[in-house]
Amino acid sequence: MNCLQAEGHFSAHFEDTLDYQTLQGFEGHLAECEACQHEYTRFQASVKATQQLPQIEPSPSFMATLQQRLEDQPRETGGVTENVVTGWGRLLDVFKRQRYAFRRPRWAFSGIIALLLAAAGTFFYHDGAFFTQKQRLTPVAPVSQSGQIAIPSDEELPGRLPRFSTDRSQFLRGSRLSSPRQPMQQRYMLKQVSYTSAASSGGL
Amino acid sequence: MPDLDDELMERYQKGDENAFTLLVRRHQQPLVNFIARFINDRDSAEDLAQETFIRIFKAANRYKSEGARFKTWMYHIASNLCKNELRNRGRRDRYNVDNVVNSGSDRDGEEEQIDLIASAPADPAFEPEVALERKELRNAIQAAIAELPEQYRLPLVLRDLQGLSYDEISEVLELRSGTTKSRINRARIMLKEKLKPFI
Repeated sequence: MNCLQAEGHFSAHFEDTLDYQTLQGFEGHLAECEACQHEYTRFQASVKATQQLPQIEPSPSFMATLQQRLEDQPRETGGVTENVVTGWGRLLDVFKRQRYAFRRPRWAFSGIIALLLAAAGTFFYHDGAFFTQKQRLTPVAPVSQSGQIAIPSDEELPGRLPRFSTDRSQFLRGSRLSSPRQPMQQRYMLKQVSYTSAASSGGL
Repeated sequence: MPDLDDELMERYQKGDENAFTLLVRRHQQPLVNFIARFINDRDSAEDLAQETFIRIFKAANRYKSEGARFKTWMYHIASNLCKNELRNRGRRDRYNVDNVVNSGSDRDGEEEQIDLIASAPADPAFEPEVALERKELRNAIQAAIAELPEQYRLPLVLRDLQGLSYDEISEVLELRSGTTKSRINRARIMLKEKLKPFI
């Protein structure tokens, strides 16, 4: 046994829990090693002094303070929290529980408010309250330059979907950038014409 | 034969309020001592000990005597509370534990504190120098314990100051028996080194 191994057995020897073989080895080493002897003596003195530290007593008011604190504490009963109080405390607890019951499903109240808002919105919408000043825009069918509805022929669309033109001038013709003051209906029409012409030219 | 603590817990679970009071009376002193020695702060020790009992009170109905023993359960709760406390305050060194006890007279709501050395009896056998040396040693031991890393301090306090067995300490700290033994041995060796000027 070397010094490091002997040091590892200090506590076990002090508490007399070493087995016979280890005890022989430990005591044999200590008999030969003066440094370990000295260290073990100091170890014993240190442990004894620690064990003799005086016990710290609780203050006389410990129990009274604890009881006061316990009165306000709820007690768990298999997952359900129960308040262990009497009289007014019990009555107050009922009110507290009611308050918590309302507090918990907060999302339910939010849902009800959302439903009420939706109902109010629908009412105003049908009443026309929001749209008295403005006219609603209705979608317009694509119209060609001649005023006819632009329906591409089978030749123009030979069994495939139309593609957009890469010609920037054609593209800009129907956009807001080229004609910002045109009314929406006219702009929409121009866009459709360029669209159909792009489709007829085969696009990409 | 059932443990007395287990019996008291069972009684309390059945509605006997006095059983809990008896449990507190049985364990308040060792618990306050353990916490005060571990966190090195007597004032907070009482508060944490009360908090431990409150936790036990709240979770009393979940306690089963077949599982962990009451004492190990109590120390487990207390040590967790202590660790949290130390983490929260960043281990401020508030050394005011040793040699100060409560006199018992509680005047004007303030606890009067008496220094044991200052109030020592004036008998002929009383040697102030020896007492002073003893006091210094106690202070040094407490300071040395406080300086130990938490993982060594906790098993050391449980073993040398609270007198728990290795198995109980292993249960409290949720460690293997071998780890507990080696940590206690290491803690004692560290303490011996710190106390070199005194021993």
